[in-house]
Amino acid sequence: MTDPLLNVEELSIAFRQRRGELTVVRDVSFDVGVGEVVGLVGESGSGKSVSCRSILRLMPAHGVMRARAIEFLGRDVTKLSDRELRDHRRHNVGMVFQDPYSCLNPTQRVGEQVAEALRVNAGMSKIDARARTIELFESVGIDRGAERQRSYPHELSGGMRQRVMIAIAISAGPKLLIGDEPTTALDVTTQAQILALMSRLRDDTGMAVLLVSHDFGVVAQVCDRVVVMYGGRVMESGPVTQVCTEPQHPYTRALLESIPRLEAAGRRVRREGIPGQPPNPADVGEGCPFADRCAHASARCSSVDMSLRPVGPSHVTACPFVGEWSDPPGATESSRVGGPS
Amino acid sequence: MSNALALVRSRRWSIRRLQNWELTTGFFVVGLLLVASLLAPYLAPYPPNQVNVLVALQGPSWHHWMGTDFVGRDVWSRVLFGLRIDVLIVALITYLGLVVGVIIGTVSGYVGGWFDAIVGRVADTVVAFPFIVLVLAVVAIVGPGLKGVAIGIVIVGWALYARLARAEMLSLREQPFIMSTRALGYSHLRTIFRHALPNLVRTSLVYSTVDVVVNMLVLAGMSYLGLGQQAPGADLGSIIASGQGYLLSAWWITTLPGAVLVLFGFGVSLIGDGITRGDLAQGRL
Repeated sequence: MTDPLLNVEELSIAFRQRRGELTVVRDVSFDVGVGEVVGLVGESGSGKSVSCRSILRLMPAHGVMRARAIEFLGRDVTKLSDRELRDHRRHNVGMVFQDPYSCLNPTQRVGEQVAEALRVNAGMSKIDARARTIELFESVGIDRGAERQRSYPHELSGGMRQRVMIAIAISAGPKLLIGDEPTTALDVTTQAQILALMSRLRDDTGMAVLLVSHDFGVVAQVCDRVVVMYGGRVMESGPVTQVCTEPQHPYTRALLESIPRLEAAGRRVRREGIPGQPPNPADVGEGCPFADRCAHASARCSSVDMSLRPVGPSHVTACPFVGEWSDPPGATESSRVGGPS
Repeated sequence: MSNALALVRSRRWSIRRLQNWELTTGFFVVGLLLVASLLAPYLAPYPPNQVNVLVALQGPSWHHWMGTDFVGRDVWSRVLFGLRIDVLIVALITYLGLVVGVIIGTVSGYVGGWFDAIVGRVADTVVAFPFIVLVLAVVAIVGPGLKGVAIGIVIVGWALYARLARAEMLSLREQPFIMSTRALGYSHLRTIFRHALPNLVRTSLVYSTVDVVVNMLVLAGMSYLGLGQQAPGADLGSIIASGQGYLLSAWWITTLPGAVLVLFGFGVSLIGDGITRGDLAQGRL
């Protein structure tokens, strides 16, 4: 177990509406260790994106976040003053967003934007920043950096732009890099390159990575641990190999089963996916949000306690009925020990 | 091979040129008038206020390109000096209004909340208020002269830019790259002025080309009504006004300065069209 870097405890996020509040994230807890790569997986609307933004306290104007604590290196982010929050954003955490097409300022050359981050956040002089920009470009895999830094964002491809975004995000040497669906807008080969880049940066600099994705394949490739979210709640969390091979929550299992596989090519295997639609946050209340779509659901699921129960070493699930539906060949001894209580 | 390449290049170049003939022509016309007005003291064949009744009401000739008025002043010289003062004042007040309006609008859109509500209502009120009446009111307070008219125009002029900039800011605020400046911990001032403003000033610049023409006409109109430039000073409006009594016998005093005014407006409008067209071609705007 690595040293803790980030510890999110009982995070809830609500959006203020004309009438009352709409809770989109409920009691979410997860943590990231130093140098660890953690994946946050879930369908769209599961609350994974807002959850990761809460680490920087980046809320939309109508968003309200409450948490028992969001500890970053022992300091509670929710209690930082404006000044401390700015320092936190500048030095501790770098963020890469989903859409590389709109995340860069279209009126500035990309080199200027990287250099600006270096000047403002790392306190460099103009000349140092320019030199460092080229180095950074090299480290994120942009060759001919001296030339490329004079490009405008619209002159670069999506993958190149995402590399520029990463260069900006890591410019001040953050301890945590948050990727909010960083590869979703890219094609598969570029996606693989960006993921490899993020892994390599982790290895080189020792910074932790929180990777938000809807794609289990992406997460399985690079993450050490994975947190599965659905309907604003954590369904399961654990080491990535454990979760992928022995899922301890019906949702995780259904999600894994709906991934198309290349081995099935030409055999016309029909994947059912998960029947139904992700829930409307307004309809999610107590109990398991997945109950409506779950193959193993019963009446008690609507009032079940969603706190996480250990099912293995650092492997937890929100489903208390694991032992009842998980078939013996898949379940290991350890996963049954801490099973339904 | 290189020949073919050169041909392609030159073709593209000429097509681009052709595509933006508005911009080219506009800059040519406005540039010519600007240079002429700036160099008025050197270009004008006579002092603008030199009276010579012996040559009063003469038609256009080689000596007097635009003829002479009822006291024998050279209309061409007066037009050059008049244009000079009009262009100077119009540029000043239009772009003062633009700068003030864009800053107010951008900040207002970024900050939101009650500040935005107040700014928005004030701007709406100013825009809804009859423009000319307001200018007249200011002239009534300050007294006749270009100064009063200029102040009146600025008081009204900022509001439209503020509304334009605010609307742009509202959509820009939701753009990921503005959000990522927050994620980077940049200050609000940096976000507003380094990242938001360059992206929204374009619309205001395009609109300002319309505004320049409108303000030019208001200024000339006020002078025409006798509330702007006072005799014997010359601006296009007062020259046109001074000739209207002689419209049938000496048409040149009114029509030729009027044509210069129209030409200026035409050139500025072309520039505006050209900018818009250039944006469309680049897929921006």
